[in-house]
Amino acid sequence: MTTNASGADAILLVGHPNVGKSVLFHRLTGAYVNVSNYPGTTVEVTRATARFDSSASLLDTPGVLALPSRSDDERATMQALLNENSRCLVQVGDAKNLRRTLTLTALLAELGVPMVLALNMHDEATARGVTVDIDRLGEELGIPVLTTVATGGEGISPLTHAIAQARVAESLLRYDADLEADIAQVAALIAAQCPHPHLAARGLAILFLGGDTAVADWLRSQNPACCGQLEKWHKIAVDRNQGDLPARLARERTEAADVLAASVLSRAVRSSPLWSQRIGQAVVHPLWGIPILLGVLFAVYEFVGVFGATTLVGLLEEGLFEGILNPAFTHLVTVAVDVPWVQEMLVGQYGLWTMGMTYALALILPIVTTFFFAFGVLKDSGYLPRLTVIANRLFSLIGLNGRAVLPMVLGLGCVTMATLTTRILHSPRERIITIFLLALAIPCSAQLGVVLGMLGGVSFTAVLIWALAMVGILMFSGFLAAKLIPGRRIPLVTELPPMRLPIVGNVLKKTGSRLKWYLVEVIPLFLIGTFIMFALDKSGALPAIIEAGEPLVSGWLGLPKEASAAFVMGFLRRDFGATGLFAMAHSLSPIQAVVGMITITLFISCFASLMMMVKEQGVKIALGMVAVIVPLAFLIGGLFNIVLRATWS
Amino acid sequence: MSPNKHEARLPLAFIAPGSTVRLAAFGDEIDPLQREQLTAYGLAASRPIVVLQQRPMTVILADEVELALEHEVARHIWVEKQAAEA
Repeated sequence: MTTNASGADAILLVGHPNVGKSVLFHRLTGAYVNVSNYPGTTVEVTRATARFDSSASLLDTPGVLALPSRSDDERATMQALLNENSRCLVQVGDAKNLRRTLTLTALLAELGVPMVLALNMHDEATARGVTVDIDRLGEELGIPVLTTVATGGEGISPLTHAIAQARVAESLLRYDADLEADIAQVAALIAAQCPHPHLAARGLAILFLGGDTAVADWLRSQNPACCGQLEKWHKIAVDRNQGDLPARLARERTEAADVLAASVLSRAVRSSPLWSQRIGQAVVHPLWGIPILLGVLFAVYEFVGVFGATTLVGLLEEGLFEGILNPAFTHLVTVAVDVPWVQEMLVGQYGLWTMGMTYALALILPIVTTFFFAFGVLKDSGYLPRLTVIANRLFSLIGLNGRAVLPMVLGLGCVTMATLTTRILHSPRERIITIFLLALAIPCSAQLGVVLGMLGGVSFTAVLIWALAMVGILMFSGFLAAKLIPGRRIPLVTELPPMRLPIVGNVLKKTGSRLKWYLVEVIPLFLIGTFIMFALDKSGALPAIIEAGEPLVSGWLGLPKEASAAFVMGFLRRDFGATGLFAMAHSLSPIQAVVGMITITLFISCFASLMMMVKEQGVKIALGMVAVIVPLAFLIGGLFNIVLRATWS
Repeated sequence: MSPNKHEARLPLAFIAPGSTVRLAAFGDEIDPLQREQLTAYGLAASRPIVVLQQRPMTVILADEVELALEHEVARHIWVEKQAAEA
């Protein structure tokens, strides 16, 4: 009945977004997952063997704003609760937001699974003058309760002991009599006709009445015959509450949490806001927010575009690869391999080493490394959620809200990953518009670095023209898409987590983890891409494609005809194509460099992100987007060629 | 959930930054799912709310939860001023 992949007993980390579950998971397992400093990063459930008990697997579930589940993240967590062989739940809560933490406890307690409550970020609570009577709270709930500071490793050992002593929590409340009658009726039906092996029928009844679709689907899968009766009771309860049933259940849990929190919480009067609160407010200030944003963007440009794409690439490409490795490897291949075409395949113009590995390691690696590090700092600092506030007005022009800035910024790291995270958006309409804009006008980190490296070498004006072109096209395309795609815009409501000083060790671990993922994906694709280029060249197809593409590439875009090869490469990976243009930078004029980079940026995304678009939106919509994007890229590139030749000398 | 005493209740979007108010009710104009979301963030009747800023969005502090709300939502959240400020 369970779908536990490992078959081991599972310990589930459950809690609100941004309470430190992922860091705690790392502390308890040794495996590292991305720290979420804004809601929605951990889309999938992450699993690893517990350090303190090799027979148990630990699961890091996506953050839930509330249960019953509504969002994809919440549904994923609910499915983990339903499908795992749960030995224990570790609720990770924010020590300074006890009321909110206990509201979730009030529901988890009804599931009848042994629990532990870890109040994390205890240091932040102390700094704000918030004190919790831990012993009393533990007595009231009937479960182990303790404080932790996951980022500093505090409280980890007591937590592992507490997990061994986990107990089923006492209920925090009895709902109003009419609600209790409905819950009892539904629970009796579940217990009799579709009982869960671990979860209490009462908890499932509360979730079902609250409209949890994951629970409803699970009950249906267990006993379809029972569903008719359950639906009947659900309808009676909903009608009696005039459609307000989920809200009424939630309000009663909130009130119970409020009463318990008030009895164990004390709050010292603070004379002035903390520095982190002052900075947090300045960052979203209508006046100061914009210069701070520009300063952040400039710092990222200096670090990624100048230090990563120029200094580090120079050291690696010219110093290490062209100076030492490539001559040595070429010599080795020439001596060891007698077959000329194999020599050429390895170290020729389209050689697996001289092109594939050199592009992947000398050109791309330093760029994505610096980008991932910069992104990690921004994420862990709490700046990204505040960016949604600054960006909200801009995004409202294209029928979205500021929340869409998160996939867009993630897209600057990897469009494939960002396409997946559009699930944090609340409506299908928002997802379609955002995925289209990601595929059209958002360059990934590798491509961004190549663009900044190439155009930065031309002039700041060239970078500015490219950036303004991208923003303009993004806004205009988004405006049109919002007009054409039916549906209404959802206004933004978002939590702003505290600003924090990022811990360099965590950022480095996260950068390493992302780089590992990136290299595993990128090196095979670069080698496959290089081999295809080699095969096309040897078969005579590449010269034919270059010849056939000449009117478009040379005539319309004004680029050298050899640039056609970069667009062929761009079909495999957009950054691979951009790197192809980068490699011929010395033979391009400033206008050709700008036109080439605008066109290749607008060109279709990499193969992996195309597959992700298909996965998220289906073949029809994904191919429809490609059919719009490819001609649009060449059309806009050609228009810029005409305009720049007329105006930019 | 619409307010009964309009003279005593103001939209959250109209409250000056720095003020502390108490939540009275959510207007029916707010989407039911978004109302659930607001409750999950800890906004409940009679709870105190500190208004931190109104531009570019309404930013409030409810307990230690800092929330940013678009005016479209904030103008349909009805609040009452604290006795000292009323």
